[in-house]
Amino acid sequence: MTFNSLAFRLIVAAAVSCLIVLPIAGIVLNSLFYKQLERNFDVRLQVLLSNLIAESIDEQSPDPVRPRNIGAPEFMQPLSGWYWQIRPLEGAGNVLSSNSLTSEKLRVPSLHGVAPNKNGGFQNYAKGPVGEKLRVHERIVDFGDATTPRRFSYAVAGSSEEIDEEVTNFIYIVSAALTLLTLGLLAATFLQVRFGLNPLRKIERGLAEIRSGQATRLEGEFPDEITPLQTELNALIKSNQDIIDRSRTQVGNLAHALKTPLSVITNEANSEKTSFAAKMVEQAHLMRDQINHYLDRARMAARVGVIGGTTDVRPVADSLVRALGRIHEDRHIEIGLECAQDLKFQGERQDLEEMLGNLLDNACKWAEKRVDVVFEVSQKTSGRGLSSLIVTIDDDGPGLSDVERVKVVKRGQRLDESKPGSGLGLSIVTDLASLYNGVFELDRSPRGGLRARLELPLAP
Amino acid sequence: MRLLVVEDDPDLNRQLVAALDDAGYAVDTALDGEEGHFLGDTEPYDAVILDLGLPKMDGISVLEAWRRDAHKMPVLILTARDRWNEKVAGMDAGADDYVAKPFHMEELLARIRALVRRAAGHASSELECGPLRLDTKMARVTVDGVPIKLTSHEFRLLAYMMHHQGRVVSRTELVEHLYDQDFDRDSNTIEVFIGRLRKKIPPELIETVRGLGYCLSQDGAEAASK
Repeated sequence: MTFNSLAFRLIVAAAVSCLIVLPIAGIVLNSLFYKQLERNFDVRLQVLLSNLIAESIDEQSPDPVRPRNIGAPEFMQPLSGWYWQIRPLEGAGNVLSSNSLTSEKLRVPSLHGVAPNKNGGFQNYAKGPVGEKLRVHERIVDFGDATTPRRFSYAVAGSSEEIDEEVTNFIYIVSAALTLLTLGLLAATFLQVRFGLNPLRKIERGLAEIRSGQATRLEGEFPDEITPLQTELNALIKSNQDIIDRSRTQVGNLAHALKTPLSVITNEANSEKTSFAAKMVEQAHLMRDQINHYLDRARMAARVGVIGGTTDVRPVADSLVRALGRIHEDRHIEIGLECAQDLKFQGERQDLEEMLGNLLDNACKWAEKRVDVVFEVSQKTSGRGLSSLIVTIDDDGPGLSDVERVKVVKRGQRLDESKPGSGLGLSIVTDLASLYNGVFELDRSPRGGLRARLELPLAP
Repeated sequence: MRLLVVEDDPDLNRQLVAALDDAGYAVDTALDGEEGHFLGDTEPYDAVILDLGLPKMDGISVLEAWRRDAHKMPVLILTARDRWNEKVAGMDAGADDYVAKPFHMEELLARIRALVRRAAGHASSELECGPLRLDTKMARVTVDGVPIKLTSHEFRLLAYMMHHQGRVVSRTELVEHLYDQDFDRDSNTIEVFIGRLRKKIPPELIETVRGLGYCLSQDGAEAASK
C-alpha cells in the first residue's frame, strides 16, 4: 500500500475522522459527567446548609447558637475539608464555626463579589485553610425584626477533591474505551477497505491477462458499481481490437492490391530492353520485397500474444503433401509422410501450414527424387515440462554448405535465382517458429540434401 | 492449344494475352468470375489461368463449379494471396498449379506448358513423332534435327496434333482448340493448314481419316485405328 492509493486514502480519512470525533465525544462526556457530579455535591451541601440553619436556631436566644450535630462526623475532625461557619454581618458578634475549621476562616462567596443565585444563596469554589479546593455554599439569614436587621452569613464547605478524583477516574476509563474504539474502528476500516477493494485487484489481474494475451475480455462477476466499468472496458477492448483488425485487413488488402499493378509494371518493363525498363524491373522487385516484408509483419503482429487454438497436424500435412505433389507433379518427386493421427500442434493452423508449406516447397524444388517428412514427439521434455513436436524434412537434392545454410534463412536471400520463389520463405519460417518459442534449424540430411528441423509446441 | 485467362485487371489481362499469344496459344479472356465460369463451362480449353479475387464470382467458386460439372482442364491459379493456407485451399478446390503475384512471365509460361503437356500425358518438354521434334520451351520444330519455319497458325495446329499424336482429331476439335472465340470459324481453313503442313514435314505423318478427321503418328493412321 503506497501513499497514493485508494486504500491509504480511505484509511487516513477514517483515522482522521476517528481522531476528531472521538476526542470531542470524550470531552463532552467528561463535562456532562462533571456537571452531574457537581449537581449531586451541591444537593448534599444544600441539605447540610439547611440542617445547619435549623440546628442553629434556639427559641431562648435571639442569635444563632452553636449547633450540636449536623449529621456529618467530618465537621468534627480538624482540617478534614468539611467546614461550616456562621458569621454575623452587622455589628460585632462571635463567629461560630465547626471544629474542623480550627481557628481559620472560610472565604465565603458573598465577600468575594459572587452574585446570588435565584434562591438568594451563593456558591463558588474557594481555597480552604490548607490550600485544598472547596465547594462553598452560603446563605444569608436575617434574625432581626422589621426595623433592625440582624443578618448572619451561614456557609457550608466540602472538599471538591472527591469530584475531581471521580472525574479523573472517569477520564481514564473513557479515554481507554475511546482509544480501544478508535483502534477497533481503524482495524474494521482496514478490513473493509481490503474487502471492498478486492474487485479492483480482480480487475488488475484480468487486465494483466488481457495484456499477456491469455484473455480477450474482462470476465467474471463484479459488484454493481464496477459492472459498468467492466462493460465499458470490454467495449473499449473490442473496439480497439476491431480497429487493429480493420487496419491489419487494410494493410493486407493494400499489399495484395499492389501486387497486380506490380505484375503489370514488371511484365511491361520486361518486354523492353532499355535501361529505363531495367530500372523499373529492379525497383518493382524492391517494392515487391517491401510489400512482402510489411505484409509479414502485419501478420506477425496479428499473432503476438494470441496463441490460442490447437491444430490437428495430420490433415494439414496431408493436404500440403497433396497440393505440393500436384504443384511439383512434373518433377515426379515422391513425398513420404510419417505422422501419427493424433498429433496436435499448440497454435494456429495457418501458421503451421505456412511453416510446413515453405519448407516442403523448398525441399520439393531441390529434391532429386524424394522428400521425407517425419512428425514425432520429442523424447526429452522441454523447459516447461511439455513435450514438443519435432518435424524433420529431408530431401535428396544438392543440399547447402555450412555458410549457405546460415545465409539462406536471412530475409530475401536466394542462393539460386533460377528457381522460382521470392526467397522469403525461410525467414518467415524462422519468424513464426520463434513466435511459438520453437526452434528452426537447417542441417545436412543423411540422404544427401538439406534437412530442415522444426521444434514446435505440442498440444496435450 | 486454346487457353482461358480470367483476370479482372485489364492491363494484366492484356499482357497475359499478349505473352500467351506470342507463345503460340489461342487465348480467350474474361474480366469477371461469371463470364469466366460461363466460358470454361461451354468451351473446351486446354488450360485456364484463373485469378482468385474476381468481381461477381470469386475464383475458388468458379473453380469448384467447373470441377462439380466434371470439367477436367488444368487450372493455374494466379493470385496475390500467397499464404500456404490460401494455396492449399486453391489446390483443394481443384487447381493444378499456383503462381503468386507479382510473377515472372517466363515462369508462368513454363508452368502453363507443363500443365498442358501433363494433361495430354507427356512427361518431357520435347515431343517427338518419328523425325519430327517439337521443343515446347523454345516453340521450335525440327525434322531430323533441321529447324523448319512455320507460321503461327501452322505451329498451333502442329503443336496440338503433337500433343495428341496417335489419336484421331476431328476438324471441329481442331477449330475449337486452335482459335479463340472471336475467330471466324471455317473448318475449310483447317484443310488449308493441313495441306501447308504436309509440305513442310514428311507428309505421311499426317493421315486423313475419312469422315473423322486427322491423325498424326509415326506409322500413319493404320496404327491409330488398330
